[in-house]
Amino acid sequence: MTHDFDRRTLLKAALGSAGLAALGSVPAFAQDSRIRLYWWGSKERSDRTLKAVSLYQDRNAGVKIDGETLAWGDYWPRLATQAAGRNAPDLIQMDYRYVAEYARRGALLPLDEFVGKSLDISDFDKASLDSCKVDGKLYGINLGNNSNAMIYNKAAFQKAGVAEPIDVTWDKFFELAAAVTKAHNGEYYGTSDGSGEESPYENWLRQRGKALFTEDGKLGLDEKDATDWFAMWAKARETKACPPADLQALDKNNIETNLLTQGRAACAFNHSNQYVGYQVLNKNPLGITMYPQGAGPSPGHYLKPSMMWSIYARTKVAEPVVKFANFTVKDVEGAKLLGVERGVPASPKIREAVSADLDAMGKLVVDFISHVTPKVGPIPPAPPKGAGEIQTMLRRIAEQVSFGRVSVADGGKQYVSEAQAILSRA
Amino acid sequence: MTTTAQIPLTIIEPEKTSKRWRGLSRALVAYSFLIPWLIGFLGLTLGPTLASLYLSFTNFDLLQDPQVIGLANYQRIFTNDAKFWHSMQVTFTYVILAVPLKLAFALGLAMVLNRGIAGLPLYRALFYLPSLLGASVAIAVLWRQLFAKDGLVNVVLGFFGFAGPSWISDPSYSLYTLVLLSVWQFGSPMIIFLAGLRQIPPDVYEAASIDGANKVQQFIKITLPLLTPVVFFNFIVQTIDAFKAFTPAFIISEGTGGPIDSTLFYTLYLYQEGFAYFRMGYASALAWILLIIIACFTAFSFLTSRYWVHYND
Repeated sequence: MTHDFDRRTLLKAALGSAGLAALGSVPAFAQDSRIRLYWWGSKERSDRTLKAVSLYQDRNAGVKIDGETLAWGDYWPRLATQAAGRNAPDLIQMDYRYVAEYARRGALLPLDEFVGKSLDISDFDKASLDSCKVDGKLYGINLGNNSNAMIYNKAAFQKAGVAEPIDVTWDKFFELAAAVTKAHNGEYYGTSDGSGEESPYENWLRQRGKALFTEDGKLGLDEKDATDWFAMWAKARETKACPPADLQALDKNNIETNLLTQGRAACAFNHSNQYVGYQVLNKNPLGITMYPQGAGPSPGHYLKPSMMWSIYARTKVAEPVVKFANFTVKDVEGAKLLGVERGVPASPKIREAVSADLDAMGKLVVDFISHVTPKVGPIPPAPPKGAGEIQTMLRRIAEQVSFGRVSVADGGKQYVSEAQAILSRA
Repeated sequence: MTTTAQIPLTIIEPEKTSKRWRGLSRALVAYSFLIPWLIGFLGLTLGPTLASLYLSFTNFDLLQDPQVIGLANYQRIFTNDAKFWHSMQVTFTYVILAVPLKLAFALGLAMVLNRGIAGLPLYRALFYLPSLLGASVAIAVLWRQLFAKDGLVNVVLGFFGFAGPSWISDPSYSLYTLVLLSVWQFGSPMIIFLAGLRQIPPDVYEAASIDGANKVQQFIKITLPLLTPVVFFNFIVQTIDAFKAFTPAFIISEGTGGPIDSTLFYTLYLYQEGFAYFRMGYASALAWILLIIIACFTAFSFLTSRYWVHYND
């Protein structure tokens, strides 16, 4: 019997297995790079992204890309948490709203040194490049441009015998919408209630020559603006152009719960690139047009990067990440897989190539952007700290007004005072 | 083991050492079994808790290094934060409604089940089921469907000629649908009540009924007093749970606490401050206030328990 397992042998065995485990964690091929890729969006976007990833992996042995995706609402808390734990993904889909916030806190890698080398974006127009810069440094790779777009159910307007709301004024728009509601016996509404949504609000403010925020990060509107906005929608609710508050509250600010997708209302206020996501979820053919205009003489629309790629400052695989990002915006095949679902590509060459074999949905989006481009104003400055909180607050106050908890005038007053409090705190 | 223990007995001085050695080795065995839990407790509970105490005195924004700002967070919470008071009110309303309702419901069903009906294990399992599903996302989603404008609840009400509102998206009712969701998860207190009821000797009831006590008197004079230790336990556990409730409100309002902050639980507000608005220092201070409230509540319950909890010993 040689069962003398004394302490020493046991220790040796333990050390041995620990050593094995340590060996196991060393990659088999040293040149392997694993990239963590992170984005928000619909299933349509995920499908397209994963196709591009698998094509890239086929072409580049040794590169392994792991995708992580979440809905918009969960996306940012998770990113912030991972960044706090110094464990953020290497390649991050970034929004114009947050790029300054992350860049100024040192969480993003400046990309200037890659430009002209592995990042070939020299043919991007100036606006598409500048909109991805913070304090003069490039922190994002433009994934496509978009603009505000109203997406609507064509059939609902046809059935009502009403003209489609193409490039109309606000007054005309509500008139048409009320007619749609009437034709559907009040069970289907002409438009969703946009009073709590920031994008139509901002567009409308810009038409009046105002803005959400000024260049120096102050509030860009006054009490009268906010009050007029809530009053306009209160009137729309009265004429049944838009649904009552308890119906509107079911909308959780994503494509899936939007009242257009839910079959409750004919118009949704969104961005041009989201047209594809909407159409995939809607049986009826959808139209795309500009937001209603005419609240003032100025253009409400502007072109902005619908999203960009940003790279985590602590990434260990910067070069491979830049190469993959470049593949999605400058390689014809890679860019074709993404299509225009993230916006219309900034590179003219790629835009042309992608447009050449777009499906009908994609063509509509590209045509829409060409239609809007001559009518846009300049892009507003990067939003100040606290902008996200103000967006949430707008929705809350709009609901208070629509549920009749506060008057229109008090809603306007409250919006301004709360927004100023948030800005002074941030 | 016995042989090794005997050898030193004869060599070194007797009794004392061996006893001490045995005690020590037993403690070592105990602690070595506790190690996995200890690691978890120190690393995942105590460590982060203490870290958050430190962070509550800083302006930590998740991305940059925290700077100590003294009591500023606490000062703001108590003097200049309407949302703090509002979310407190929402949470307290929830606790005050959900806990007694849930316990009453659980006790009622436990008493029904305790009457020895056929198929008891089946019923017990069925009634327990919601508690297993309870905190899951799927149930919160189901709840949203049930209580929507054209949800099942309103369909049923429609049969009786009532046109119900959209319960879940109307700020006047949304919180109450969450209370209902909580009451529906009565399974675990019910099982504990059932066990408690089983402990009450039947001859006590027998004696009472011979003395002419009716069912109500029996319930008030016998069942409740003898059950108070179990009631106490359930009460504490459920109340702490209710203070900490987060998932249902988060899922049903998609993290907004809406409509109009009507379901903005304290925990949800804390989460928004920390993760949506990058104010982790402030959120840490909010978390500590909740901890202190729960601790005070629990201490108070224990202090008063001697007046109403009757231990049968």
